[in-house]
Amino acid sequence: MTDTEGHSLQRRLLVTMAAGFAALLVLISGLLWTYSRAAANRTVDLPLAGAVLAILERVSVGPDGATVDLPSAAMDILSLNPIDRVQYRVFVPGQREITGTATLPSPDDLRPSISPVFYDAEYRGADFRFAIQGRQISTPDGRQWVVVQVGQTVEWRTEQHLLFFGAGLAGLAVVSLIGLGFVWVAIRTSLAPLRQIASDLARREPADLTLVEGTPPREIRGLFDAINGFINRLRRSRTLTETFIADVAHQTRTSLSALQGYLSLAADAKDYDQIRTRVVKADQQAARTVRLTNQLLANAMVIHRSDRTSLQPLALKPLVRDILAESLRDSRMRHITLSLIDEGVGAGKDLIAGDSVSIREALRNLIENAVRHGPPDTTIAITLDGDDDAIRLSVEDAGPGIADADLARATERFTSLSDKTKGSGLGLSIVKAVAEGHAAEMTLGRSPLGGLDVTLIFRRIVAILVLSVGALLSGESASARPLVIHSATDTPTMQPLIEAFETRNPGVRVEYVEFQTVPLYRSMLSLAESGQPDVVISSAMDLQVDLVNRGLARRISLAPEITPPTWATWRSELFGFTFEPVVMIYDNRTISSDELPTSHRDLATFVRENEDRFRGRIGGYNIRVSGVGYLYATQDSLQGPQALRLFEVLGRAEMKSYCCTSDMVEATSRGELAFAFNVIGSYASDLAEAAPHLGLHFFEDYNLVMSRTAFVPKGAQNAELAMQFIRFLLSEDGQRIIRDETPFLPLIRAQDPASQFEQQIQDRQGTFLPIRLTPGLLTYLDHLKREEFLSGWDASMGRAR
Amino acid sequence: MLLVEDNDDLAETIIDRLRAEGHSVDREHDGNEANDLLRHFEFDIVLLDVNLPGRSGYDVLRSLRARADDTPVIILTARSQIDDRVIGLDAGADDYMIKPVDFRELSARCRVLARRRAGRASNIFSAGPLTFDRAAKRAMIHGQDTQLRAREIQLLEILIDNMGRMLTKEDVADRLYTFDEAPSMNAIEQLVARLRRKLDGTPMVIKTARGLGYMAYLADDD
Repeated sequence: MTDTEGHSLQRRLLVTMAAGFAALLVLISGLLWTYSRAAANRTVDLPLAGAVLAILERVSVGPDGATVDLPSAAMDILSLNPIDRVQYRVFVPGQREITGTATLPSPDDLRPSISPVFYDAEYRGADFRFAIQGRQISTPDGRQWVVVQVGQTVEWRTEQHLLFFGAGLAGLAVVSLIGLGFVWVAIRTSLAPLRQIASDLARREPADLTLVEGTPPREIRGLFDAINGFINRLRRSRTLTETFIADVAHQTRTSLSALQGYLSLAADAKDYDQIRTRVVKADQQAARTVRLTNQLLANAMVIHRSDRTSLQPLALKPLVRDILAESLRDSRMRHITLSLIDEGVGAGKDLIAGDSVSIREALRNLIENAVRHGPPDTTIAITLDGDDDAIRLSVEDAGPGIADADLARATERFTSLSDKTKGSGLGLSIVKAVAEGHAAEMTLGRSPLGGLDVTLIFRRIVAILVLSVGALLSGESASARPLVIHSATDTPTMQPLIEAFETRNPGVRVEYVEFQTVPLYRSMLSLAESGQPDVVISSAMDLQVDLVNRGLARRISLAPEITPPTWATWRSELFGFTFEPVVMIYDNRTISSDELPTSHRDLATFVRENEDRFRGRIGGYNIRVSGVGYLYATQDSLQGPQALRLFEVLGRAEMKSYCCTSDMVEATSRGELAFAFNVIGSYASDLAEAAPHLGLHFFEDYNLVMSRTAFVPKGAQNAELAMQFIRFLLSEDGQRIIRDETPFLPLIRAQDPASQFEQQIQDRQGTFLPIRLTPGLLTYLDHLKREEFLSGWDASMGRAR
Repeated sequence: MLLVEDNDDLAETIIDRLRAEGHSVDREHDGNEANDLLRHFEFDIVLLDVNLPGRSGYDVLRSLRARADDTPVIILTARSQIDDRVIGLDAGADDYMIKPVDFRELSARCRVLARRRAGRASNIFSAGPLTFDRAAKRAMIHGQDTQLRAREIQLLEILIDNMGRMLTKEDVADRLYTFDEAPSMNAIEQLVARLRRKLDGTPMVIKTARGLGYMAYLADDD
């Protein structure tokens, strides 16, 4: 008590000062907010302007008018920002679109200008920052404006903004805290007299309830009086407790003395009849003593339990039924008419915060009272009734009841109002203690049955608890729902992962639907949200980035101990879970291992020099059909001009094109192909193990690495479970299963290589070039860029279109 | 009867009381020994204290039930908190009483359990002028057939099996009717009323507690 009083004074002073500082802080932080926003804008505007410029430079005049060759540098600049999604648009104002997303919002007063304009706008439910800039070019039709618009979502900017703002604010906060510190010291000094009182009280023996003496300063006069007032109340309360103990002692001793008296009288009795009457009296007295003791114990227990916070959500109806059914077993209850009316409370509407032990004790005492005070065939009616806020538990009887004048005294301890039945006077006070422990209202009245009506009104627990129960139930049935996965990975390969996930989550049934990469991408673009699967898995990293860039994915938080490499995740929405290097697979009966080219440049030379020998016996992806083939080809072309040269050479050697790695490996295995390149290493190594004449070859300059990626679409029906599946894929457990039971290599690799393939990879550690999950992958999805790339490929392959 | 109780004074009084009523009573004071004894001999009723040397009364009860032995057991306990009782009943006790026990009540409960057991164990149940032949599905009063209908016979059998125990209306309905018949609660009330009328003059009483259900007991047990 003294503690809180002292605190509140000191705190009031501190709070007043703190409020002053806070007002100041609010004023300054307003300015800081504007400033940090401008600063954050600058950090995102620079890359946007850079990207716009990079694209503008590549605008040229083609046969159909203005065209653009989207430079990968533009997306690379934007990828420096690790989280935001990207949109771009190149167009001739008022005339036609050249490429990109035509529906991007323009500023209201768009006037083509050669200096960049920045603005914020909303696009498809997300906030974007756009940069827009134009350039005039000469076409056969005259001079024409071409405008480039590039935009990014503003998550990074918001982060920067908050960071700048936070840093500034932190500085201010520190200064304020130091200021408050001085205030605190000042308060401490001026409140020294209070501490003196505190130490005086602290040193006291618990029994010492004398008043605190002294002349306090004017300011704490009130506190001083309050302490002394409290001590006075404590004294009174202790006197009450002492009276109670004295009462208990008195009651118990009186009862025992009476018992002892009857017994010694019986012992001294002269004849049998005398013995008998006295023993019968002793027996009755013993029964009363037993009841008194039971009630004293119950009273103590109830009070003890009401001190603790032992209240639990409790359904009152079944509890009352149990107690009544139990009490009816007692043979004394046989002639008593007992009834329960509980239709007024619906199932599930009977929840209170209660302690079943105490309530049981209260109800038993009420019934016992009714039995004891009423005629042998009395009627007891128990009623449960309730409304939205409260549940009423009434016990009525047909006994004599309590006179109105005595009602107030009835719940006092040791007040037995009836001499005839010799109650201990504890029954109702136990009930009262239980009511108080439950913050329930207790009313005493006269029942229509003629006797006493005791009603306890408990507050009902509403909504929140029912909801949480509902959540529990739906949580249970959630486990029985299916998890729908749409995936561009063949079923047998994923089987071990799916089975392991099902085992770890009993009741979950995985529905796995297999797709090719491009159809999977198209289906995701066309599906309504409600038709979307729960997880999308694909090896075509660029297509997956595009889907996520369109805002189709949900954010997933991983456990802190799961840390996938940064190249294999984007925006906490798209996650790679495998490590799949690209290899060249060859028939060692046709090519000896020492003549194999060591770099991509050498590969072109190697093919050209052996053109006749390999004619029609080289395998590669048909990049028009295969999403992953296109990804590899474009990534190769980013590594240098040798890629284009390689296409021409391969075209001259009449390369055969395939849809899938497995077909290429099989063709090589059958001896139809001398070698196939850019095949997915994990599948190839798995298939090559069975065929000793097949060899796997890595280059010395670089080897691309793909990672199979997964995300959870916005429209997933079982998003929680889907996220759990992705966490499972990346967990230690999931990665171990990928390593041991699938042909893939885990993303997070173990120290010791388990297979020869893994050993080979470990030996060439530095040469692996993972394809990064960034908006950079969008460059080659630009339709102009894609058409140009594919037609170049067609031309090289001799497939004029 | 077997009494398992470690306090000699209490045990002595209980034994005296029960023997005076004509029961033969054995007594054990140790949980382990009681357990061994129950393994080899059969009793009509076991009175079991909870706090015992050796092993606790609950453990004795659990291993008894684990052996699929359905001897009626009454738990005697001095602990007053309900949780203990629930454990006792869950562990398979038929009843419990809190010390100090009222001897009249103890005898009454023993009689109820003995009746229930007898009613189940043998084909013929008799109480005063009432005899019920389980095999022949026939009830006689003073040797005369009571002409009970099939449902009434079924109800009587259920009540005898659950003597001294509260049965809710739903309990009765579940045992009397199949799921498809879906009887009205009214029908059950009428059935009980009819049976009660027909059993008039026998010690068998069907007590109705409104909102709770029915309980049968024998009036001459008091």
